[in-house]
Amino acid sequence: MKRLLILVCIAWLFGSPSYAQQNNPASSPVEPQAPLPAVPAKPSPPVQAVVPVPVPVGPRKPNGPVQKSLVRITATAVEPDYKAPWNAGGIQRGVGAGFVISGNRILTNAHVVANSRYLTVEREGDPNKYPATVQFVANDCDLALITVSAPDFFKNMLPLRFGEIPALESTVSAYGYPIGGERMSVTTGIVSRIDFQLYTHSSIDQHLAIQISAQINPGNSGGPVMQDGKVAGVAFQGYSGDVAQGVAYMIPTPVINRFLKDVSDGHYDKYVDLAISYSKLQNPAQRRFLGLKDDDRGVLVSTVVEAGPSASVLRPGDVLLTIDGHPIASDGNVELDGERADFQEVVERKFKGDSVKLDIWRDKQPTTVKIEFLKTAWPYLVQGHSYDVRPRYLLYGGLLFQPLNLDLLEAYRPTDLRLRHFFEYFILEQLYLQHPDVIVLTNILPDPINTYLAPYRGGIVDEINGKKIRTLDELASAFAETPEHFVIRMIGDGPPLVLDRNKVEAARERIKTRYNVLKEKNLEEQPASKSPQQANNI
Amino acid sequence: MQKNLFITLGLIVVTVTGALAKKEPAVPALSTQKQLALVRVNVTGQSYDYFRPWQKKAPFSKRALGAVLSKARVLVTADLVSNQNYVELERAESGEKTAAKVQVIDYEANLALLEPTEKTFLDGITPLEITPDTVVGDRLAAWQLEPTGALLATEGLVTTVQMMPYPIDVGQFLTYRISIPMQYRENSYTVPLVKNNKLAGLLLRYDSRSQLLDAIPAPIITHFLKEAESQNYRGFPSAGFSFFPTRDPELRQFAGEKGKSDGVYVTNVEPNTPAMKAGLEVGDIVTAVANHEIDQNGNYVDPLYGKIEFTNLLTAHAYSGDVVPFRIQRSGKPMELKVTLEHRDAKDYVSPPYNLDQPPAYYVLGGLIFQEAPQRLVYLDHFQSELFPEGNRRVVILSQVLPANSTIGYDDLSYLTVTKVNGKEIKSLGDLAEAVKQPINGFIKIETEEDPKQIELDAAQVAAEAPNLQENYGISSLHRLD
Repeated sequence: MKRLLILVCIAWLFGSPSYAQQNNPASSPVEPQAPLPAVPAKPSPPVQAVVPVPVPVGPRKPNGPVQKSLVRITATAVEPDYKAPWNAGGIQRGVGAGFVISGNRILTNAHVVANSRYLTVEREGDPNKYPATVQFVANDCDLALITVSAPDFFKNMLPLRFGEIPALESTVSAYGYPIGGERMSVTTGIVSRIDFQLYTHSSIDQHLAIQISAQINPGNSGGPVMQDGKVAGVAFQGYSGDVAQGVAYMIPTPVINRFLKDVSDGHYDKYVDLAISYSKLQNPAQRRFLGLKDDDRGVLVSTVVEAGPSASVLRPGDVLLTIDGHPIASDGNVELDGERADFQEVVERKFKGDSVKLDIWRDKQPTTVKIEFLKTAWPYLVQGHSYDVRPRYLLYGGLLFQPLNLDLLEAYRPTDLRLRHFFEYFILEQLYLQHPDVIVLTNILPDPINTYLAPYRGGIVDEINGKKIRTLDELASAFAETPEHFVIRMIGDGPPLVLDRNKVEAARERIKTRYNVLKEKNLEEQPASKSPQQANNI
Repeated sequence: MQKNLFITLGLIVVTVTGALAKKEPAVPALSTQKQLALVRVNVTGQSYDYFRPWQKKAPFSKRALGAVLSKARVLVTADLVSNQNYVELERAESGEKTAAKVQVIDYEANLALLEPTEKTFLDGITPLEITPDTVVGDRLAAWQLEPTGALLATEGLVTTVQMMPYPIDVGQFLTYRISIPMQYRENSYTVPLVKNNKLAGLLLRYDSRSQLLDAIPAPIITHFLKEAESQNYRGFPSAGFSFFPTRDPELRQFAGEKGKSDGVYVTNVEPNTPAMKAGLEVGDIVTAVANHEIDQNGNYVDPLYGKIEFTNLLTAHAYSGDVVPFRIQRSGKPMELKVTLEHRDAKDYVSPPYNLDQPPAYYVLGGLIFQEAPQRLVYLDHFQSELFPEGNRRVVILSQVLPANSTIGYDDLSYLTVTKVNGKEIKSLGDLAEAVKQPINGFIKIETEEDPKQIELDAAQVAAEAPNLQENYGISSLHRLD
């Protein structure tokens, strides 16, 4: 259910159909149907002014001239085509917002610039479109920094400053270009809720997010949400009207500050994570069984992801008592800056290379462990969206092999139970240990050599000629050998898929030509385009 | 789900005119029959509530038709009378009623025989004979009753005869597909299909959009009736292997097939099944079954239907205990195997394909409810032979938690696979019932495959709290084991 909402959300955020006009990048976004209402004429001064009457002034602008900070970003993106991965993909255009911050930088959402090949920014009252380049993208927290090289661009712009987390029920204003439009739009609302939320851009990351009642719509993305002249957050996601109304989310300043700090060394290192699952320890019998005191303290480690930083440090059955000195309550909360928050918030604030100290209870004995955040728990990335990378694949004898990931699933929408199980339980059942790549025979480009192979579609490759295949590279190596036949075993009870190597070799060029396959494989997850800086210098 | 037709009660029998005055009608000369060989069947039943396994759901009632057969038997679908509490027969023309009992039921073939408690109840009705020779192109009439009791007959064309899954999916059975514009009448499950006043089939499902009706065909009915005559009904046999077409020449070459390129490739042989006992192996090519040659797609040439899947030879044509010759090729070497067919009981599956007329087993432990995995755990159900190749076990799950003092903090747990209790491996609910009797230092420790991985209860608290739990949640008994 939750995932369904997320999908609705994504479609709603950015690149609404009116902006996604393929092959027609010159078309303009939807124009507002009616002209903007004229500014009311000033009341004429009273003729007989005996007593000076104070001239009525409009309400004070609490946030200052946001026009001088706001930019309108037009991104032309190339969406990878997982069904024809040798192609560059479809071209889409979208509009978002951004704002100038210190250091001649523009902050926006990652989803505004994801997969982009060409970016322009515009500012209020300036007819020019300025080419922009991406400096840093953080897909895990949906933030990006871009900049404009035109020398005068930042001259008259006012960099915005960041505030704190706004109080519940306090008023905030969102600025941006909802449903297109060329003039800045302002909506206001109140802070409704402060909680951890799924960030739908990656669809696997959860961070602090603030729910506001200000209307935000496609085109608001990346725009500032202001309070008292300071940035309270960046508008980034919401629900479409048929799911929930008046529910919009902004990325709060702790998340923004963490991003800006992370990139201050010149590269973005991503969030770090303990990569464990835990259970609450609220049951008195369970607490006594574990030998714990009746003090509402500690959570039980349930799963330790082998590919994460806690592997070989923590084990299932350990009880976490404190994290960096903060006592962990039996419901998993710690007290941070006077607020109760999930204990993983302590880890949220860490950076790659940092470590965390945990007091734990193991086999009824207290002990202390240190976890260093050196490696990323990569299996999670398989379950999230990836951006700015070319899909990996291998085509052999018209058989298209691709590693399973969220983008692949969304492209093919398979109903196969085994595939869905491998995706959903990739981490829970630690399937990645045996299958770092779950290699799926996703499609068959028909040719006389593969005409009977359609029933194998959707199968997961297990071994070739008796050798286990764990990665796409191993698959490529297996096919590089020169046996008479390749006997490919799929996971499960099915029959082997047998290929006559000589026949396949003879058919390769034919298949490539017939289906306009530019390249038979891409084994590395490489950037989809040259680095933006280079691109702009061409 | 099966789409059922419904008809209402009626009292009068009239002759059919007009609509059926076609060339070679399927319902000729009906006027010669004084009493239609149809009775109404009224069923009241209750199914067990899987989520509250100690209780039954509210009663349902179904009204349907039954085909009157010889020896005062009434044929209906198993679906109609499964989970029944009370079955009643009603004469269409007089409204006279009597109680009936289910004599034999086969859930897999979806057939059941009823017998009236009052032996003379069906007197005066000429029973339906069975005609087993329906082929594609024949016209069959669906018999329903008007509210008045008059016959409503609709004619349809048999478009297809092939192997199709039945509602309880344990393999495929012979099925007639009939293109027929059925009319809705309140209430009907068991609509007989008739050719020349003889029973040709029984409605299995109907799709009103495409107007296609699938029927349980006479050969399956005859098989059912023949076995029902014996004291001990065993059910349709199966061999217990999976196969794959051999159209791909590379696969045939890999399997070392020599000579004629026919037959199917064996992909899986399930343990403790006739196929395994006969020595069939993965990679064998089955070229003939019961002396019928099998083509690359797994079809044989049936004298009546032409090409049809060879599994028909093992279901409609064979009985449990029959020895069926299999001709196979193993690495190119021709061999003959003797397969002694058996019926595979629902209880022989790790995840039984159905559980009808049987109270579900469960075990309540301080608010934790344990049950054996039902079909709804789709992945387990689908891949059970792969996940548990040794078979011969059940999967016990913690299905839900009723909040109680002993389960504080566990309230949100559901659908967890139980691996061990008090250190002992759990392969059935019986194992669990034994294991909970031996607490570790006064604690019951339950280990699960999924998070949280471990749950502990205070054994004394569980025992002390049990009466309250029963009282609060209306649990008549804390456990029911097989």
